[in-house]
Amino acid sequence: MRSDMGLIVKTTARATIPLIGIFGAYVVSHGHLTPGGGFQGGATIAGAGILFLIAFGLGEMKRRYNHHLYSALEGLGGLVFLGAAMLGLGVAFFYNTLWHNGPVFNGQPGTLLSAGYLPLMNLAVGLKVFAGLVSAMVAIAAFRRWEE
Amino acid sequence: MKRTFGALALLFLLGVLLVVASPSTGIKFGLGGADWKAYRYTDQYYIDHGVQEVGGTNIVTDIVFDYRGYDTLGEATVLFTAIAGAVALLRPWRRDEHEE
Repeated sequence: MRSDMGLIVKTTARATIPLIGIFGAYVVSHGHLTPGGGFQGGATIAGAGILFLIAFGLGEMKRRYNHHLYSALEGLGGLVFLGAAMLGLGVAFFYNTLWHNGPVFNGQPGTLLSAGYLPLMNLAVGLKVFAGLVSAMVAIAAFRRWEE
Repeated sequence: MKRTFGALALLFLLGVLLVVASPSTGIKFGLGGADWKAYRYTDQYYIDHGVQEVGGTNIVTDIVFDYRGYDTLGEATVLFTAIAGAVALLRPWRRDEHEE
């Protein structure tokens, strides 16, 4: 591909993409304890995907990217969010039944397995934001009508 | 002519907003003490009861996902629609595929 970067950029991207991904996963999974959450962490992980796209070029990205998979992941994130919201439908929509009388996610406030459906929703929203932003970025990058 | 009226209307709106945002005639900034209790009682409720009622120590996440979950649901829908619209509009046109 004529559009990819030099050796230094590629090597640096190889080193930093996993770090960005791990940091984004940390922000998503600790959304109920520390600042951040699904939207912010999802955007961070999507930043790693965009770095991959820019450093290695569109050809390499097209080989690794399956838009059916990413559309399905985005829909799955929304459905998990809705499902978590409907868990306490016996009382009300968005009733946090996992926190009040659930089997899991009802630990001491401040621990990782606490706060009811909040971690589930953060994971769902993070997945949704990541898949959506990466697929939008690939769609923009694959659009080539500069000439004419 | 139309542009002059538009500029005058913008200027008028800016003046109204400046009056509204000045502390002597409109809203106040940096509330504390009795003003906090009078105008920010909802925030005080979230700060007092958020950890016990929802369980997360991040109060913003408690509000966004539990107290006001509908808003986040709408926000996720907006994002979904924006991505779907962008991907749908940026697909190759039928003429381009034939030209390749």
